[in-house]
Amino acid sequence: MKTYVGSGDRGRTSLLSGERVSKTHLRVEVCGDVDELNSVLGAMVAALPEHQGELTEEILRIQADLFHVGAWLATSPASPTLGMLQEIGPEHTKALEAAIDRLEGTLPPLRSFILPGGHPTAAWAHIARAVCRRAERQVLHLATGEPPERLSGVIAYLNRLSDYLFVLARYCNSLHGVPDRIWQK
Amino acid sequence: MSASSANSFTAELLHRSWLSEKAFEVEISRPPSFPFQPGQRIRFIRGTAERDYSLISAPDSPRLALCVRFVAAGLFSPVLAGADIGTPFNFSGPHGYFIFQPSPRPPLFVATGTGVAPFVSMTRAGLTGFTILHGVRTAAELYYQAEIRVAAGLYVPCLSDVAPESGLPPGAYRGRVTDYLSDHLASGAYDFYLCGRREMVRDVTLLVDERFPGSRVYTEIFY
Repeated sequence: MKTYVGSGDRGRTSLLSGERVSKTHLRVEVCGDVDELNSVLGAMVAALPEHQGELTEEILRIQADLFHVGAWLATSPASPTLGMLQEIGPEHTKALEAAIDRLEGTLPPLRSFILPGGHPTAAWAHIARAVCRRAERQVLHLATGEPPERLSGVIAYLNRLSDYLFVLARYCNSLHGVPDRIWQK
Repeated sequence: MSASSANSFTAELLHRSWLSEKAFEVEISRPPSFPFQPGQRIRFIRGTAERDYSLISAPDSPRLALCVRFVAAGLFSPVLAGADIGTPFNFSGPHGYFIFQPSPRPPLFVATGTGVAPFVSMTRAGLTGFTILHGVRTAAELYYQAEIRVAAGLYVPCLSDVAPESGLPPGAYRGRVTDYLSDHLASGAYDFYLCGRREMVRDVTLLVDERFPGSRVYTEIFY
């Protein structure tokens, strides 16, 4: 099966709602950020030890959620296609909150800034967090031209996902016996 | 149920009939809890191999029907072509977002070969008045033309491999669908629905970018 079509060779692409737009269109940019975030999570899963099956499953679920986020963002407001998509809502954000609470319960309290890094899996989680924050900012730009409720679920989800990824980075360091490196002013 | 959430089913082969030397239609039993919208696909699963086919049935049909291009070296079409009636098949679905979306812009369907399948399903669901171009090499491949002619506002078979001295079906165009669009479609914004070979999808999409700004393009590509 060939994966290429070539209809984007002149710099335009189709949204899920059918519009032909430049590949520099904000809606395409934000989808690219979500795709990048998903790919970083894939790298992180690849770096996790095999015995971390539960954590792997949790991240795979988030990766699946991000496909729904991408489809939602790739569809313009008022498109009938939205009715066929799974909306990211409070239940997805609550699932992240439960995961944050679970991971954080195993960690010592944090009272200082920490330097991103440590074990490779933690470093990937920090990269994912930073990409997630960028995706969130881009979604906020996109939201300025849309009905406020259209992207509220995605914005809350990405905000909470960034928090999850920060805690996940600390958890990965803890898991591998690598202390968080405190920022020295 | 969301149209994008797909489930797994088992169905029996009920009927098979050849449409040409290159394509055949199969009917399989419809699981009771299988909803779909015209334009969507099902995915046959056999071991680790998977293959998608668009449904041609109306959404309220008691059976599921598919239009299958026969590929001798293919993973699935030889199996479907040779299976005994009653053979069970596993599939998942419904898949895809290639559904008709009413808008102020005129709809323009473009298919190549068995890519006409989703438009047959839409026609059987009662859709009328659309323009459709069906690109094929010869008239023998103009599957379902009788029922499409009745439903369409304009039906243009585009035959790319017909000798100059040969006759053409009523309303047919000698050439490719892209040539027809380039030569005959008035300027304006349309809703293009493209289903078939990727070369057609690429060429029509690039033409839309160049000639029909403000249009929307929905695609279903046969790889």
